Amino acid sequence: MSYLIAAYAITLGTLGVYAWLLIRERRRLAERHDR
Amino acid sequence: MSRPEPALERLARVRRPLGVGVALLVALWAWLVIQAPIDRVQGVIQKILYVHPPLAYGAYLGFVLTAIGGALYLWRHREIYDQLAVAGAEVGVIFCTLMMVTGPIWAKGTWGHWWSWDARLTLTLLLWFVYLAYLLLRSFTEGSERTARFAAVYGIAGTALIPLNYFVIELAGGRSVHPENLQRGSLGAGMGWPFAVANFAAFAAFVWFVVLRWEVEMRRAGAPGGTGE
Repeated sequence: MSYLIAAYAITLGTLGVYAWLLIRERRRLAERHDR
Repeated sequence: MSRPEPALERLARVRRPLGVGVALLVALWAWLVIQAPIDRVQGVIQKILYVHPPLAYGAYLGFVLTAIGGALYLWRHREIYDQLAVAGAEVGVIFCTLMMVTGPIWAKGTWGHWWSWDARLTLTLLLWFVYLAYLLLRSFTEGSERTARFAAVYGIAGTALIPLNYFVIELAGGRSVHPENLQRGSLGAGMGWPFAVANFAAFAAFVWFVVLRWEVEMRRAGAPGGTGE
């Protein structure tokens, strides 16, 4: 069970962090463009 | 005559509803994974099935998209296609990395060891290195047209590994430790729907990531008004 939880946690955690980084970068670039 | 719709606006218009769709699909996927029956032979660890192959298909898609973007760039000489190739490679490498993390976890739980120098696993590692090298090349040599042309050819050539990677189990003639590719009817009762939804959710998430990453790449390049010309 712990292996299964680890696999899902790593996958969802990594994709979540990647999505957050991309959204943050997109916002930063959009704000710079608007200024 | 009206001005062509800026690429950035078009991407933003697709990204928002797609994000909502991905969130709903991920919720449905999570519920179906919990409800899915437990395999009698492998036990609960077999539920990695609902994350590992969808990640592999996403990785393949990312690398194919890199080749498509590269080919379009060589043909049309528009920067947005080169930016699409970069987006496909990055999202592909992320999916491939996660596939290569979930695979060994599954292997440890069923085979008893993390890794085997099996044909499929070795070729997957090679595929990962090829596109990781693509990203390193892009990050070290930013902005030149020559780099973009070289990267396009490299990205197209790299896709030769994909069919080899997919069919290597059949080519190895039963000597592979990795299970055979899934075929119609090869899943147990009640596993078909969760697997189908898992693939659909992974595909939607993949498209959302590519759209977002493509937009970031365009903005970094300072696309004037987002026309992508």
